[in-house]
Amino acid sequence: MQRAVRTASLDWSRLVGPALTRQCSKCRAPLLVSARPYSVIPPPRDAEERDMLHRVLRVDHAGEYGANRIYAGQMAVLGRSRTGPLIQEMWDQEKKHLAKFDEILAENRVRPTALLPLWNVAGFVLGASTALLGKEGAMACTVAVEESIAEHYNSQIRALMEEDPERYTELLKVIKEFRDDELEHHDTGLEHDAESLPGFWLLKNAIQLGCKAAIYVSQRV
Amino acid sequence: MAALLRAVRVGRALRGLGGAVAIPPATHLQCSSLRRGFQSSLLRLQDESKSDRPPAPSSTTYHEHYQAHSSEQDPTAASQEGSAAEPEAEEASRSNTSYQDQSGEQGEEYETEDQLQARILTAALEFVPLHGWSMEAIASGAETLGLSSASTGMFHNGSGDLVLHFIAQCNSQLTEILAEQHKQVQLGHAEAKKTADFLRDAVETRLRMHIPYIETWPQAMSILLLPHNIPDSLKHLSTLVDDIWYYAGDRSTDMNWYTKRAALTGIYNTTELVMVQDSSQDFQETWNFLDNRIQDVVNMASTAKQVQSTGEAVVQGLMGAAVTLKNLTGMNQRR
Repeated sequence: MQRAVRTASLDWSRLVGPALTRQCSKCRAPLLVSARPYSVIPPPRDAEERDMLHRVLRVDHAGEYGANRIYAGQMAVLGRSRTGPLIQEMWDQEKKHLAKFDEILAENRVRPTALLPLWNVAGFVLGASTALLGKEGAMACTVAVEESIAEHYNSQIRALMEEDPERYTELLKVIKEFRDDELEHHDTGLEHDAESLPGFWLLKNAIQLGCKAAIYVSQRV
Repeated sequence: MAALLRAVRVGRALRGLGGAVAIPPATHLQCSSLRRGFQSSLLRLQDESKSDRPPAPSSTTYHEHYQAHSSEQDPTAASQEGSAAEPEAEEASRSNTSYQDQSGEQGEEYETEDQLQARILTAALEFVPLHGWSMEAIASGAETLGLSSASTGMFHNGSGDLVLHFIAQCNSQLTEILAEQHKQVQLGHAEAKKTADFLRDAVETRLRMHIPYIETWPQAMSILLLPHNIPDSLKHLSTLVDDIWYYAGDRSTDMNWYTKRAALTGIYNTTELVMVQDSSQDFQETWNFLDNRIQDVVNMASTAKQVQSTGEAVVQGLMGAAVTLKNLTGMNQRR
């Protein structure tokens, strides 16, 4: 049945493809692209769903980009210390996440957020400055950021599940996998004495507030 | 025929997948209505095949509506199928659906307001050289379709509607052409063009669509600059530029996304301005201007790359100098 649907949708895309591009000058050529049988997001039914999906992907891409820069900042300071390899490992995982989102954005013609240069600098500065507080500082920053990101992914998962879990299975799979990775980083941070930093509670809340603001803004710009 | 049967099978699959779609409230939801329209046309095809009537006459009725949408005629069955969905796709908030009579053109036909407006505006385009982009052109267009000129009352934005319709039509024609080229390249029948050449050809193709209306184009441009038309014209411009870059192969997901589109917007707008006051043979000066602007952008991009690599080299040099200084002053020694 699955294969029949897939071949049917293949035929459909070949059949209706050119006509869709002709008609949908208002509702965009993505229909031609996402008519492929395998794609992380389903071809949007209407402009509303398309906007919603694009916003989700845009803010997730911005988040991974920011996390990437935070680890880069931490490595710049602590790269040659004992915690270097640990941070490098977490950074590599974030790089994989970013690559995946880059691929999804390019495939679905999603506009990246205009604030990327800002997250570039802000992320690096945050990572570097917390790393200057020592290993505990870097771990505390990791804990705070990963917790924010995991919470954000969870709320996205909830929203998508409420909408239509079957329609978004691929996307949900990707987000769940990434959320699990972020929670792993969070636990790693806790294991490596993040809480022993003086002022941990203050730093954690400040960073989480910043993350919430960043997510809010990236969803809209 | 085979295509129709395939479509029927697809329709069954589609219905299974999306049976619970409620009627969307917003007006610009052509995609959902596209699918619904497709489903309704497929339902009709199924009814037809049950009542043993040949589906062949449907192509003539679809073709009539299809002509209203694009000047190009695609003789394949696939496009006729697609165009069958197109008229239905314009269903906005009307509750009576546009089921078309299968017995040919004599039967009563329902079409939606949007479709009718599109047909009138397309017919009005041929009167633009005479009357300019105005209500007179729309009234004349309505009269050629056999409607009274009072039907211009449908168009609250008058000349704005006409210009925006024309632009949307040109953009979709361009997208069609680019998609076709893209397909040819993917099938291996054609060579992929270099980015600069691709951009030049795409902009030239798009601007050539203005040539029949070039006398009145300054009027059209000023209409597009009216405050109530600016959001729509910007939207059309941004989709045009995004489509051109997409087919040129741009898949960037960082600031380049913005800089590339901004550059192309600048090129397009300035070339358009040059075109309206160009009096050379076949607008040769305009195309030369376009070539030069694109060359500028390409040079700027390579200059930016050079600046970046020079900058990196300089930074490394400075770091080396700092380390040397530290060594010389003994700061690097462990005590």
